[in-house]
Amino acid sequence: MSQLQARFFTENKRYIVDDVPFSIPGGSEVQDLSNVINKLLEAKNASHSKVEFDFLVRGQFLRTALSTHMETEGISTEEVVEIEYVERITAPEPEECMMHDDWISAVHADAEWILTGSYDKTARIWSVEGKPVMTVAGHTEVVKDVTWVKRDGLTSLLLTASLDQTVLLWEWNSERNKVKARHCCRGHTGSVDTVSTDPTGTKFCSGSWDKMLKIWSAVPTDEADEVEEPGDRPRKKQKTQQLGLTRTPLMTLSGHNEAVSSVLWCDSEEVCSASWDHTIRVWDIETGVMKTTLTGSKVFNCISYSPLCRRLASGSTDRHIRLWDPRTKDGSLVLLSLTSHTGWVTAVKWAPLHEHQLVSGSLDNLVKLWDTRSCKAPLYDVAAHEDKVFCVDWTENGLMLSGGADNKLYTYRYSACQTDAGA
Amino acid sequence: MAACSSNSNMRREEQTEEKKKAREKSAKKRSKEEGDEGDEGEEIFSFKDKAAVDEEEDDDLSDSEDSVYSGLEDSGSDSDDEDDDDKDDNEEEEEEEDGSGNEDEEEDLKTETQQTGQTEQKKTTTMKKKKEGKEVTEEEKVNEYEHDSSDEEDIRNTVGNIPMEWYKDFPHIGYNLDGKKIYKPIRNKDELDEFLDKMENPEYWKTIHDKQTGRDIVLSDEQVDLVNRLQRGQFGDVNFNEYEPTVEFFTSDVMIHPVTNRPADKRSFIPSLIEKEKVSKMVHAIKMGWIKPRRVEDDSKGRYYDLWTGEDSSLVAKHKMHLPAPKIPLPSHQESYNPPPEYLFTDEERALWDQQDPSDRKLPFVPRKFSSLRQVPAFPRFIHERFERCLDLYLCPRQRKMRVNVNPEDLIPKLPKPKDLQPFPTTQSLVYRGHTGLIRSISVSPSGQWLASGSDDGSVRIWEVCSSRCMKTVQVGGAVKSISWNPNPAVCLLAVAVESVVLILSPSLGDKQVISATERLLSGQQEAETTEGEGPVSWIETEGEELNQGIHLKIQHAKAVQQVAWHAKGDYLASVMPDHSSHLQVLIHQLSRRRSQNPFRKNKGLVQCVSFHPIRPYFFVATQRCIRIYNLVKQEMTKKLQANSKWISSMDVHSSGDHVICGSYDCRLGWFDLDLSTKPYKMLRHHKKAVRGVAYHRSYPLFASASDDGSVIICHGTVYNDLLQNPLIVPVKVLKGHEITHDLGVLDVTFHPTQPWVFSSGADATVRLFT
Repeated sequence: MSQLQARFFTENKRYIVDDVPFSIPGGSEVQDLSNVINKLLEAKNASHSKVEFDFLVRGQFLRTALSTHMETEGISTEEVVEIEYVERITAPEPEECMMHDDWISAVHADAEWILTGSYDKTARIWSVEGKPVMTVAGHTEVVKDVTWVKRDGLTSLLLTASLDQTVLLWEWNSERNKVKARHCCRGHTGSVDTVSTDPTGTKFCSGSWDKMLKIWSAVPTDEADEVEEPGDRPRKKQKTQQLGLTRTPLMTLSGHNEAVSSVLWCDSEEVCSASWDHTIRVWDIETGVMKTTLTGSKVFNCISYSPLCRRLASGSTDRHIRLWDPRTKDGSLVLLSLTSHTGWVTAVKWAPLHEHQLVSGSLDNLVKLWDTRSCKAPLYDVAAHEDKVFCVDWTENGLMLSGGADNKLYTYRYSACQTDAGA
Repeated sequence: MAACSSNSNMRREEQTEEKKKAREKSAKKRSKEEGDEGDEGEEIFSFKDKAAVDEEEDDDLSDSEDSVYSGLEDSGSDSDDEDDDDKDDNEEEEEEEDGSGNEDEEEDLKTETQQTGQTEQKKTTTMKKKKEGKEVTEEEKVNEYEHDSSDEEDIRNTVGNIPMEWYKDFPHIGYNLDGKKIYKPIRNKDELDEFLDKMENPEYWKTIHDKQTGRDIVLSDEQVDLVNRLQRGQFGDVNFNEYEPTVEFFTSDVMIHPVTNRPADKRSFIPSLIEKEKVSKMVHAIKMGWIKPRRVEDDSKGRYYDLWTGEDSSLVAKHKMHLPAPKIPLPSHQESYNPPPEYLFTDEERALWDQQDPSDRKLPFVPRKFSSLRQVPAFPRFIHERFERCLDLYLCPRQRKMRVNVNPEDLIPKLPKPKDLQPFPTTQSLVYRGHTGLIRSISVSPSGQWLASGSDDGSVRIWEVCSSRCMKTVQVGGAVKSISWNPNPAVCLLAVAVESVVLILSPSLGDKQVISATERLLSGQQEAETTEGEGPVSWIETEGEELNQGIHLKIQHAKAVQQVAWHAKGDYLASVMPDHSSHLQVLIHQLSRRRSQNPFRKNKGLVQCVSFHPIRPYFFVATQRCIRIYNLVKQEMTKKLQANSKWISSMDVHSSGDHVICGSYDCRLGWFDLDLSTKPYKMLRHHKKAVRGVAYHRSYPLFASASDDGSVIICHGTVYNDLLQNPLIVPVKVLKGHEITHDLGVLDVTFHPTQPWVFSSGADATVRLFT
């Protein structure tokens, strides 16, 4: 087997080796290279304990023998190859399994609490340890989306969007464990499928089956009861118990031709929405106009935005995860396609602290952990669910969550995050 | 010794000869021979002397002496002399007269020849007596180079080796060396003379006639002997030994070493300078134009040319197309005069042959048997048969059939690749499970958010499309035959056909305002429609449990309802009760006024399904074999489409209203272009079993057919606004997923209203979504 000249480097200060080229057998694989690095580190530092490494050749993860990888990537074997090594991302370890009464439609977790929406018309609050804390009931229909708005000490604001065309703004006191519906946001004429709060927590945006996006204020106002437009109902027999004060939208953004499936805030002035009309649109909230349209060829189910790499990831019904640059003006430019799912991709989520990693859930019952540097195959397949996966989430403290039609919410501890974050 | 013998010879000659050959001659000869013996110089001298005296004689002499066979020579010399005399005589005669003088001479000549013959005979006999050894010594004495003469050429006559017939008509036969004529011997030997000669002359057998000189020559014994030897294939020379011991000039052994071991010359390797010089000279000459390279003859002007160029092309074509007449088959055993017995007719065959029409007969004759060829009579039908043959050849034109070679691939129409016709559903995405019986009918809400399915398990289920979540289950208490979502987006209503009842069901999903509008619509007419009793159906308001489930109205029919279909506006509803015997098969209900009416007075066949035109007031009614289109305003039939199939199962109308597809139980799908024809524009036979459902997409150019073979076939069907352009129909995808249960596969198929997705319901109690 031919020998290759390789130089190893890393950005992690703990594992730096001498910057000299080594001659390596072309057929060596990741494990062999990892042993080499470990040997070098041991020679340098006697107290070194064995660490598994992963290797990047020109920004692509090495998954096959080095020579075949270079051949497929078209890298010359004549020169010295620069190989970057990083500590291997360990598999996510399943931690908790939280049983629900019905399908889980949405999940949103922060450092302490997990909020889930379910098809049993309730939202639930769980501790990260998996203890049920609170059940938020009030909707008359299936809860489609949930999100935390902000937390001030013990009181938290949370939003639930439902098929009953309303979004409810709740206030939850974790100490007293009391939840109170503060506002009932009316205005949509279809099922509200998605809701998202802006980074400051003062506004939120909702997308609905009625093709509209609406911007609402997320600030609970006790005294200022919003005036309700009753419309032209002759005899209003509004017998429904009024949950909280009715709130009307600040702004309505129309432009989509089909149901809006996912919205998010790129920053405090920009909203991005994905729709069944095969487009992703970027809206300016200040002026309320559409800035960019990214056109795909299939229905978009979900989008996620990473401020670290400034990329949009979209999951669509043709089983692909696509990465977009939302700032391109010409639109419809797919940077990368991640293909491995065999069903609709129903949820994607970027890692909050890692610019390359994202997690996706699909109707094929799988949750996959991706690294954009290895676009051919995911890093890990998480096959915990027995039915369709509808939602995934990823917290800043390294917790991955996924829920689906098997009524189970799984949490996984993802340890590599910290070391990577440190790197 | 030799001299003696010759002398003796001479003497005998002298004795025999008494005529013109004088003694002088022999004396001269003798003297010469003596001279020969003595000295050459003398001989030459004497020769010269002789020449001075008489050249002629000298000539003769030399000849005679030269030759081995002196006897012949002698006779020759005689004749020469005679010739001379003859010539003289002739000259004289020419001066005088011909006739008598000539004759006399001829007579003289005859006697002469006889005499000479005799003398020669004698001479040869004497020669025979001599010993052979003497002869050899004689020959040795003769100097062959003494005289300049050829041994082949007889130069007594100078005409050369020519056919002597050329001199046939002349009195002479050539010229001697002096240029004088050699006259023919006057010989008038008739047959009698010949005979007598033959009888009397003992040497006749060896007498030959010399054409060249016109003399008879008697061969000597040596000559005869020579002739005999040659005839036997032996050498002419008696003394020649054919079998002398061989002397090897070269050894016969093959030697291992070459004769010479000299290396090849250098000049054999290098080009010859002389040749080079020659070539360079020629090259120079060519360059200077002194030598012209041989010119290739130009044949274009027509040493060889196409004989047929000027020919009339049609004539040539005719020749090309000529076909030789087919050959008549060779006669077989039946035609034999003595055929094997199995070829002879039996009585039945004979009777049959007699009965048959001449054109039907297998054989145009009766095989007959004759004991011998002699007894075969003339063929009585010969002329007739020839005539028929000619008639056949004349009346049956022989033509070369121009066969068109068509690649079968070329006959397939050029269709675009399915890849270019995307989007269309390709993979199964979601399965809606929950029913326990086969699902006969499905319908998607106009918004595309909900899917309703009616099953044989007596329930109607409403599903959320995007998550396959069953949102609602309504027990209707009977097998659901047909279900249809109201196409009006302002209301949310379902029409469900259960047994003999059509249920109007409000699923209470979606927009609250829509739901309330629906409820108002259903409850608002309570007052208006109270006077409804005598109609064919009864409208029943529901209460209690059924109302809680969402069932608002029941339309009770007389018979089992097979299908329900909404008008595009959502107010009218058609229901189908197939019945052979009744004209009451189709009813149209108006929801807002709760009225029902029967549009048809006559039974035109078993109605399979009905449909409203999406835009115009037309109504499509499919019976078993055909589809009728009625104008609802004018209340008349406008068109009747022949489906070309045995039993129509389903039908759908394109969103433009100009195209109809219908599926049939005999596995076919027919596309009708209403502007084009009442016959199907295209029949597709892709399914292996009965087609159960067909559907058009509302916005995409797609249509689908569902079949009992468990597959859904998606076809691309672009419809052009241009009336001249026919629809483009391309099958693009076979979708499989449903399991075949109880020989039933897919029972219904419908498209999503906005996405290129197709739903199919099957006998395996599932609804599947393909995207």
